Amino acid sequence: MTLNKSFIFIFVLLFFFLSKKINAQTFTSPNYQIEFGNFNMTGGKKTSTTYTLTDTVGQNAPGKYTNTGYTVKAGFQYIYDLYQSFSFKIDDLDLNFGALVPQVGSTQSNIITITTPSAHGYDILASENHPLLAKSATIPDTTCDSGTCDQSTSGVWTEITTYGFGFNATGINSSGVATNIGTSNFFTNNTYYRQFASVKDNETPQVFMSESQPAKNRSAKITYKINISPNQSAGNYENAINLIAVPKY
Amino acid sequence: MFDITLSPYQIEFVLKPNITITQVYEVTNNSDQPITLNTEVLPFLPQGNNGSVTYANLSSNPNISFSLSNSNLILGQPFTLAANSKQQLVLKIKTSPTTKLSDYYSTFFVYQSSPLTENDSNFSQAIGKIGSHILLSISEEENPPVDATIQKFLTTPKIKDVFLTPLNFTGQVQNNTNYFFKTSGKIIITKNNQTIKELTLDSNNVLANYYRRLTCAQQSVCTLSPPLWPGSYTATLTFDETLKIPSVSTSFFILPLSPILFLALIALVIIFITKNKRSKPLL
Repeated sequence: MTLNKSFIFIFVLLFFFLSKKINAQTFTSPNYQIEFGNFNMTGGKKTSTTYTLTDTVGQNAPGKYTNTGYTVKAGFQYIYDLYQSFSFKIDDLDLNFGALVPQVGSTQSNIITITTPSAHGYDILASENHPLLAKSATIPDTTCDSGTCDQSTSGVWTEITTYGFGFNATGINSSGVATNIGTSNFFTNNTYYRQFASVKDNETPQVFMSESQPAKNRSAKITYKINISPNQSAGNYENAINLIAVPKY
Repeated sequence: MFDITLSPYQIEFVLKPNITITQVYEVTNNSDQPITLNTEVLPFLPQGNNGSVTYANLSSNPNISFSLSNSNLILGQPFTLAANSKQQLVLKIKTSPTTKLSDYYSTFFVYQSSPLTENDSNFSQAIGKIGSHILLSISEEENPPVDATIQKFLTTPKIKDVFLTPLNFTGQVQNNTNYFFKTSGKIIITKNNQTIKELTLDSNNVLANYYRRLTCAQQSVCTLSPPLWPGSYTATLTFDETLKIPSVSTSFFILPLSPILFLALIALVIIFITKNKRSKPLL
C-alpha cells in the first residue's frame, strides 16, 4: 500500500515537472470577440536563404464549404511586417493661405507618402467637400489658362488673370527632387493644375496619383493654389480636401 | 499629420447567403500625436483595365450588412487612436437569406474625423482616408465556374530587329460571369516548335462582367528582351486548365536589320574611301 502511494506521488511529481508547456489560441480580448475563429496548429512565415513560405496548418475543415458556408480566397493569413501593410501619410493637414492678394497666386503644399504591398499598386484620389466658401461667396474651382481643365483634366495655370482654386501633384524622391513617378499621367509638370472633384456637386473623387506595381515610401508634393480677382468678395474662405488611398484590386 | 497603416489591404471571401463572417483589421497610428478616426464601408465599381476603382455615388446592397464587432466601437462612430499605437477593428459581414447570387465589391475605409475648425484666415483642411478592398462572392458553390475570353493579345512590334528595343506583349481578358477569378497562366514564346521563353502571368483579379489587362510577374509590362535570333516566332497566351479559357496565339518576326544596316554602312564607307583614292590625281 505504502509502495503504491509512493508510486502515485512520484508519478504526479513527474507529470508536473516533465509536462511541456502548451500555448492555446485565444479568441477574446477586452476589445473584440471573434465569432468564427479559425483554430490553427501553427502558421506564419518560414524563411531560409533560398525560399520564403507562408502557411497556416490545421485550419478547421478547409474546403468544407457546405458546412461552413464560406471560404476565404485572400486575407486569411496574418500580415507579418510593415511592407505587407498598406500605409498612407500626409505630413501637413492644415493649409493656411493667409490673406489673399488679388492677381497674386497664393500656394500651400504638403507631402503625401504611400507604401503598398499590393502586387498591383495603388491609386490616390482627391475630392473637396465644396469649392472654397465664405458665407455666401465662393472662390470657384480653376479652369486653368485654357479654360478647359476640370477635375479629371489638367491644364497650364500660370496667368495672373486666371482665377480660382486648384492643385498640382508632383512625384518626388526622398530628397524632395521631382521624379514625377506616379503623377506623370495626371500632371505634365508643376505648371499643370486641375480642380478638386466637388462632393457638393455630386462629382466623383478622381485619381491623381497611381502606380501598377508595389511601392515603398513613394512620395508626392501637392501644391494647392488660389488666385483671386480684384472683384472677389472679402472673407475667410474655407473647405476640406479628402485625400484617399486605395490599393488596386 | 495623418500617418495610418491598415492591414490586410484586401480580403476575398466566397459566401453562401445567410452567413455571417468576421474579419480583423489592424489600424496603426504611426504618428507622435493621437488621431480621431472613423470607419465606413462604400461600394465600388471597377474602372479602367488595371485594377482601379470608382466610388460613383453607388447605393449599398441592403442584403449585405457591415458592422463592427468591437465591444466599444460602432461603424461610423469616431474613436481616438493614441500616438504610436494599434487598434484591432473586427468587421462583421452578414448576408441575408435573399442575397442574390453574385459578386459584391466594397472598400472598408478608415479616415480622419476632425470637424472643420473656424479660422480667421483662408484655409483648407486636408483629410486622410485609407481603404482596404472587400471582394465578396455570394454563391452556393465554393468555386464558382469561370467563363472568360481573351479580348486582345498583341505583340508590338510585329517585325523587330535582333537587337535594340524589347518586344512587348499586351493582352486583356474579359470575365463573362457574375463572379471574379484570378488570372493564372503563361505566355509561351516558341520558334520552330521549340520553347524559347515562358513569361508567367501575374495573379490579377478579373471582376465580374468586367475586363482586366494582363501583366507579367516581375515585370510591369510583359516583355521579351533582345538579343533574339532571326526567324519566325509564335507567342501563345495560355491559362491554367482550371480556368478553361481557350489559348490564343500571335506571330512575330525577328530580322537582322541592324547587322545588315551596319554592314551596308561599312560597305558604303569602303566604297567611298576607295573611290576617293582612285579619283586622286597622280602628282
